[in-house]
Amino acid sequence: MGKQAKGYIGRSVLRREDDYLLRGKGQFVDDLPVLSGQIFLGFVMSPYAHANILGIDTSAALALPGVVAVLTGEDFASLSAPMLTEIGFDGYKSNSRPVIARQKVRFVGEHVAVILAESEYIARDAIELIEVDYEALPAAAKLETAFADDAPLVHDHIENNVMFRAAFSTEKFDEAFASGDLVIKERFRTGRVAGTPIEPRGCVAVPDHVGDSITLYTSSQIPHIVRTGIAKHIGCPESRIRVVIPEVGGGFGTKAQFYPEEIIVAALAMKYRRPVKWIQDRREEIITNIHARDHIYDLEASVTSDGIIKALRLNLLTNAGAYSSYPFGCTLEPTGGARMLVGPYKIKHYTYEARAIATHTCPSGAYRGVAQPSCFMAIEGMMDRIGRKLGIDPAEVRLRNIIPTKELPWVNAVGVRYDTGSYEECLRLAMERIGYSEFRQQPRGIGPDGKYRGIGICCFTEISGTGAPGWRARGLIRVPGFDSALLRVEPTGKLTIHISHANSGQGHLTTFAQILADQMGTDVENITVIEGDTGATPYGTNTFASRSAVTGGGAVIRASEKVAGKMRRIAAHMLECGEMDIELRESKAFVTGADRSVTFEEIAQTAYSMNSFTLPEGEEYGLESTNYYDPPLATMANAVHIAQVAVDPKLGSVAIEKYAVVHDCGRVINPMIVDGQIQGGIAQGIGEVLMEEIVYDDEGQILNANFLEYQLPTALDIPNCSIDHIESPTIDAVGGFKGVGEGGVIGAVPSVTNAVADALSILNVNVNSIPLRPAYVATAIRTAASGAN
Amino acid sequence: MKIEGQNCVNAPKQVVWESLNDPEILRKALPGCEELRQIAPDAFEAKVRAKIGPVSARFTGSVQLCDIDPPHGYVIVGEGKGGAAGFAKGSARVALTVQDGQSPQTIVSYQVDVQIGGKLAQIGARLIEGAAKSIADEFFRGLTAAIEADRPETSKAEAPSESAAPESDVVQKAAALMPPWLFGIAACGTVALLLWLAV
Repeated sequence: MGKQAKGYIGRSVLRREDDYLLRGKGQFVDDLPVLSGQIFLGFVMSPYAHANILGIDTSAALALPGVVAVLTGEDFASLSAPMLTEIGFDGYKSNSRPVIARQKVRFVGEHVAVILAESEYIARDAIELIEVDYEALPAAAKLETAFADDAPLVHDHIENNVMFRAAFSTEKFDEAFASGDLVIKERFRTGRVAGTPIEPRGCVAVPDHVGDSITLYTSSQIPHIVRTGIAKHIGCPESRIRVVIPEVGGGFGTKAQFYPEEIIVAALAMKYRRPVKWIQDRREEIITNIHARDHIYDLEASVTSDGIIKALRLNLLTNAGAYSSYPFGCTLEPTGGARMLVGPYKIKHYTYEARAIATHTCPSGAYRGVAQPSCFMAIEGMMDRIGRKLGIDPAEVRLRNIIPTKELPWVNAVGVRYDTGSYEECLRLAMERIGYSEFRQQPRGIGPDGKYRGIGICCFTEISGTGAPGWRARGLIRVPGFDSALLRVEPTGKLTIHISHANSGQGHLTTFAQILADQMGTDVENITVIEGDTGATPYGTNTFASRSAVTGGGAVIRASEKVAGKMRRIAAHMLECGEMDIELRESKAFVTGADRSVTFEEIAQTAYSMNSFTLPEGEEYGLESTNYYDPPLATMANAVHIAQVAVDPKLGSVAIEKYAVVHDCGRVINPMIVDGQIQGGIAQGIGEVLMEEIVYDDEGQILNANFLEYQLPTALDIPNCSIDHIESPTIDAVGGFKGVGEGGVIGAVPSVTNAVADALSILNVNVNSIPLRPAYVATAIRTAASGAN
Repeated sequence: MKIEGQNCVNAPKQVVWESLNDPEILRKALPGCEELRQIAPDAFEAKVRAKIGPVSARFTGSVQLCDIDPPHGYVIVGEGKGGAAGFAKGSARVALTVQDGQSPQTIVSYQVDVQIGGKLAQIGARLIEGAAKSIADEFFRGLTAAIEADRPETSKAEAPSESAAPESDVVQKAAALMPPWLFGIAACGTVALLLWLAV
């Protein structure tokens, strides 16, 4: 087919997953066949944000035919230790979460009891029959007020609800800050959102016939972390637990957490020796799966009169929710936002204080982009304000501050190395694609159609493929950093690669096969990729934080080098030539410059002692290798997004008219999949800016746990995006790949926000918080108009 | 959340007041009302079952009365619990006024200031308000019908005489005027269950 001449990497190979997914044949956790004796779980959830549990009457539920058992937090305490996220930072106040609440509930939706029933309908009915006597307590629900002296405490030992505090400063910061000509301050506020994957979570645990082991099927991104977590919590060796990830209908970080239900399902399958199933509904999904991005950035820039940032000061607050989530804790967002904020800019003097505040709300966690959509909204919003204040075009402000390619590698203010990149090139090309200078030449103000138009830029770096040093730098102990691959050439000469990752829509079965095919000199058709099964794959950190291509790709390359080396040695032995003369291509080992070869199958037959050849002396049987790859602290991708919007001042509605992306994720494995990641991320980012908002009232009640009122974008809201790729392969990580999973949302949030701000700046509307739902935009326009009068 | 509304009953003010004080009439008029019970001189409990399709939930409301001003109105402060469906707490100010016209009419207006929790809250205020109003409408239609069935000669109603009733009686009768409060609870539950079925 001529593919090998050019190789698979860099080609839009059709996704192998799509054949069965698009035919509706994907097997998700709820599609697993019903097992004989299966028990279904139902959870009684707290209607209060903060309350003492005075008593739980389970008698009516237990009397319902088909109810097997009801367990409260007190009952469950003997089955599992509380969830404790260890964070290696001094400023972190440890807090533990009972798997089922004991004595106290700390957010609406926290589990108070679990019902085991013969069917899911009986479990539902039984939920209605549990009577819980609560003593309601005042709640600290809002980020702005939760750290006040008189705020109710979420955990008695955490003073002022400050669950985490970190501070950092470059040397001689004050001196640098004083050297600017003016100081510009702004507060940026982001709304509370969640990943809301189309498939909510769910698990099925199946005990084995021997009586000591279970297999847990769970809709998750992190099989190995889940397995270790369960082992630790229920006090059972990992060897007796196998975690299998079926097809996953969207993860987005929501499923990169380890949740209490996974422990509960596993522990109950162990206890009752019956299959146990739990499937989440949408309301549970919205109120109990991790939330994100309830952030406040107070940013101060010391700037010269020509728009150069001399020094930057950040005070960051993030809403941790009621408990530090597992395994990323409440530190992921504050450390992320504070550490990524300097982005692609030559900001040498930087100081920050970052705090995660406990509130009586759902715990926050790692949603796609983590704090990068918000921190780039802050720094990119600042770039625009510098431009407006000084009368310099906002693109020009960026160009004056951006790190030029010739100055790479660059070590940023917090010590992260940018090895390669294309910050200026991406900006210039994106400006060309959107028609930036043409737009700026048009008259400002209200258009003939009654709308205001604006253009918004986001230049950003995207941290990806974080290795062990990167996670340790963020205090995370339960997140290893490396990933792994076990490559086996089977006796038929076909290849099976077992990778520590877990596919949740990224196209791993295709992209890893592409990498391996090129490495080994074979066709993707000869490769089977196996993931998401702790029984079949070596240990790893798994799939989140834009890491698969870097960490998994590196591991695949390492394993392929090992196996290819052995194949060369065996082939050289078979062909009686030197190992260095062997070249692997077209699923054969050729003697360079001679018309002699052996097939992969013949080599494998030798390796498995299935023909008349012997192995070279000292060589072991088999043809496989397991390799671990721990990438550097961080691999930094970069991109520029530019959005053009039209704002209807009467309706407050925002329409995105044009959208351009220039992206650099290093060596592109599959451009079609990269484009898909970017487009999907942009859709989520547009939702975050214009529609999505989880609303808590002052008492900590969620007011919109449904898709009628938690509004998600549809295809009608998403513009056509022009996407270009610039490739600056990383030189620090194996393979040259950089991550791309989060870039779409990171770029969309600031660019769309800035575009609306640009459109409305002529009306003196200060757009510094999202979401920009029509009601808020219309109100802001009216308020600005009345202020002007 | 604030819910406001008013309904017109085709009867003189005193008749409406008395009818509203008749637990039997109320039980008939309020869909799903199972029980109205006095638990203290000024505290009462009621149970309302909301049922949609195969799913039903029972809401237990306990209320305290204050600012009783027969036959003009009062304030109800209370709490309703729907178990897994959540809870509601707050106050309802109910006022009876006379509508001038050829036939005697009474306007019953209510202002509910309610904080809802759990599943009820998660459904969203906008929907609950609509559902509460439609349940209120249904209740007042039922009330009118019950008055006509129970008291065909509405003309025998006398002029209002607040002093006529002894205090405890007033309280007891006023207790029966919980429905506007319960509408909210029942409506919340109804909508909650609807959405629960939809997801």
